[in-house]
Amino acid sequence: MNEELDSQLSAMFDDELPPAECELLARRLSRDEYLKARWGRYAIVGAVIRAERGVRLNAPLAGRVNAVLLAEPALAAHTTAPRDRRYARLRWWQPLAGAAVAASVATVSILWLRAQTPGGAALVAHVPAQVNVASTGASGQGDSYVVPRPKPPAALVPSTELANYVVAHSMFSNPVARGNLLSAFMTSETPPGGAEEPQSDVKALAH
Amino acid sequence: MSRPLRTSGRLASLALAWAVTGAATAEEPAPKRSLEYSPTEWLQRMDQALTTRNYDGTFSHWQGGRVEMLRIIHRVQDGTVSERLASLDGSGREFIRTGANLTCYLPDRRTVLVEQHPAEESLVSFPTINDQTASFYDIREVGHTRLNRRDTHIIAVSPKDEYRYGYRLWVDESTAMPLKSQLVDAHGQVIEQIVFASLTLSSRIPDSAFRPEISTEGFRWLHNDAAPHLQPGAAALAWSVTSLPPGFRMTVRSAQVLPGSAGAVDHLVFTDGFASVSVFVERQPAPSGQPLVPESATVGSSSAFSTVVDGHKITAVGEVPPATVRYIAGQLKAQGAAPAGR
Amino acid sequence: MSADASDLSLVRRVQRGDKGAFDALVLKYQHKLVKLVMRYVRNPAEAEDIAQEAFIKAYRALPQFRGDSAFYTWLYRIAINTAKNAVVSRDRSPVEYDLDRNNNDESYDMQGRMKDSETPEGLVLTDEIRSTVNAAIDALPEDLRTAIVLRELEGLSYEEIAAAMDCPVGTVRSRIFRAREAIDRRLREVFEGGLGRAEELG
Repeated sequence: MNEELDSQLSAMFDDELPPAECELLARRLSRDEYLKARWGRYAIVGAVIRAERGVRLNAPLAGRVNAVLLAEPALAAHTTAPRDRRYARLRWWQPLAGAAVAASVATVSILWLRAQTPGGAALVAHVPAQVNVASTGASGQGDSYVVPRPKPPAALVPSTELANYVVAHSMFSNPVARGNLLSAFMTSETPPGGAEEPQSDVKALAH
Repeated sequence: MSRPLRTSGRLASLALAWAVTGAATAEEPAPKRSLEYSPTEWLQRMDQALTTRNYDGTFSHWQGGRVEMLRIIHRVQDGTVSERLASLDGSGREFIRTGANLTCYLPDRRTVLVEQHPAEESLVSFPTINDQTASFYDIREVGHTRLNRRDTHIIAVSPKDEYRYGYRLWVDESTAMPLKSQLVDAHGQVIEQIVFASLTLSSRIPDSAFRPEISTEGFRWLHNDAAPHLQPGAAALAWSVTSLPPGFRMTVRSAQVLPGSAGAVDHLVFTDGFASVSVFVERQPAPSGQPLVPESATVGSSSAFSTVVDGHKITAVGEVPPATVRYIAGQLKAQGAAPAGR
Repeated sequence: MSADASDLSLVRRVQRGDKGAFDALVLKYQHKLVKLVMRYVRNPAEAEDIAQEAFIKAYRALPQFRGDSAFYTWLYRIAINTAKNAVVSRDRSPVEYDLDRNNNDESYDMQGRMKDSETPEGLVLTDEIRSTVNAAIDALPEDLRTAIVLRELEGLSYEEIAAAMDCPVGTVRSRIFRAREAIDRRLREVFEGGLGRAEELG
């Protein structure tokens, strides 16, 4: 893009652009998806520098507001200039030019989770199921194994008895082990041997 | 919006602030000189922090190829421990403990388990590392690194045999909280991991933090009978083990009634100073008509094993490899009169 | 130059019917607003919902905005009221925390990785964005880094930064711009594998 324009954008973002130029740039900004995306990225940089922790940096908040406003009456009559068609399909409300992000989600997810999964070797990605890579090993530690997003446990549920024992034991584990145990219990555990009827007597064994 | 400026001093301190913390933070207390702590002392400091500090954090839990987010809130106030662990996605389960009351909310099963554990009010009921422990684990500091801009000591606890698991712990230098922890098997493969995404240590946490977020309308409530004074070993049978994996010894023997169960259960705890295994023995003999098959289960990376010994169902649970719980369960023996078919 | 000219020029466009201009205001203030709302609700998803509601309210109330105060000040008040109302209307009292950092609490947040219940991208990108931006800032030449940090972290005007760094205002503007350029290049590079252009990839 035009460097002078971007430089003006940067100054306007900081409220350091003369008013007359602001007026002109505001008009361009309102209909130029590319400029909007860049403007949005400037905001993100600021949020990171201020360490606005806990705030999602790529929240589709702006997109949602935009969607709601589409249905709102305009505050006054206004003809919107035709959009710059080159970027017409940009999702400007996402900090990184949208289409590219959507298509490369698989790459992005794997990149991120490489940092998170133990040892750095496993590539476990939360991606839509159409991305499939060969898996190696039952423990999920394979080279690139894609799992669908975890869903609430369906058929396999623990026996209440086992749940009791797990909780009772957790009071005697070392604190780190206890954290692991209860966390696993909080998410789900799947005893081999199939479903337990929730209404069954709690003392019954699974089979 | 102008403000008074001191020029170069401000720049210098700003640059320093950025380099050190990379972000706007409150002043942090000067870190203690921590060079002198031994790896074992780091672990002890860590256990202390986890059990005595007030904190509120969210963390990711990775196990079996899945990652879930959870929240932990922990408070010690006037000697009473309160904690709340909640699944932030998926099951929506919550575990809340206030003093002697433990409550497990299982929305996916529309069940609430309520227990009273008067004996567990004490803060320190977990295994403590002792000299013996060093015979079975190699404990050393393997690194000193910055994790999310915090100085951490990486402590590795490596088992010397296949009866137990190992750990790698990223212990925060100033708070001794484990910002990241990995459970590793005897081959060094990571099988479980917890990483904190946010963690706040605060002086005050209100009671409202320990209320569940879910609605329990229509749920089944299972309480343990208020029978806190069961005598351990008062059953007709006393249980013991003939042998244990190296380093393990019994540390606790108690009895309790678990929520939803009709009878008492003897609870034995074995530990090697780091890992522990509980064995639960039902006092009521198993009904003879019902075929009972030994059964293994896992809860995350912990192992459970049920079987029948001398006509009583026993279940062993612990953060050890499956073979270890099977071994210990298999070594259980009843002593004393064992009348048949009671 | 008059303060708040940037926001006012956008506000006036919105008041004249240009909804697109409002997007720019949302983009600029969304993180600050969510952060503000999180003083009242701890749950980030809820905070985003409340922030969204605040923006909508602000849009609807914009005809009454006269420019007596700065736009953000006006928006800020709307957000606080919205948050308070949301909290009051809940069944239980909210979880409140002592946010006063001056009472010797050790308090820090690590890279606040948020759980996105809608798309996997949400989970991925916040972490990746944060570390990319931080790495890019660390890699900046010192004068660029100082300029942008003074601007974003300390909120100094270009004139104040010029005084602090002992250089002309024009240089400050250029340094901040070049800092943003360098950071932006890295941000786009990570995800697009190239510089600048977004590509239609289906």
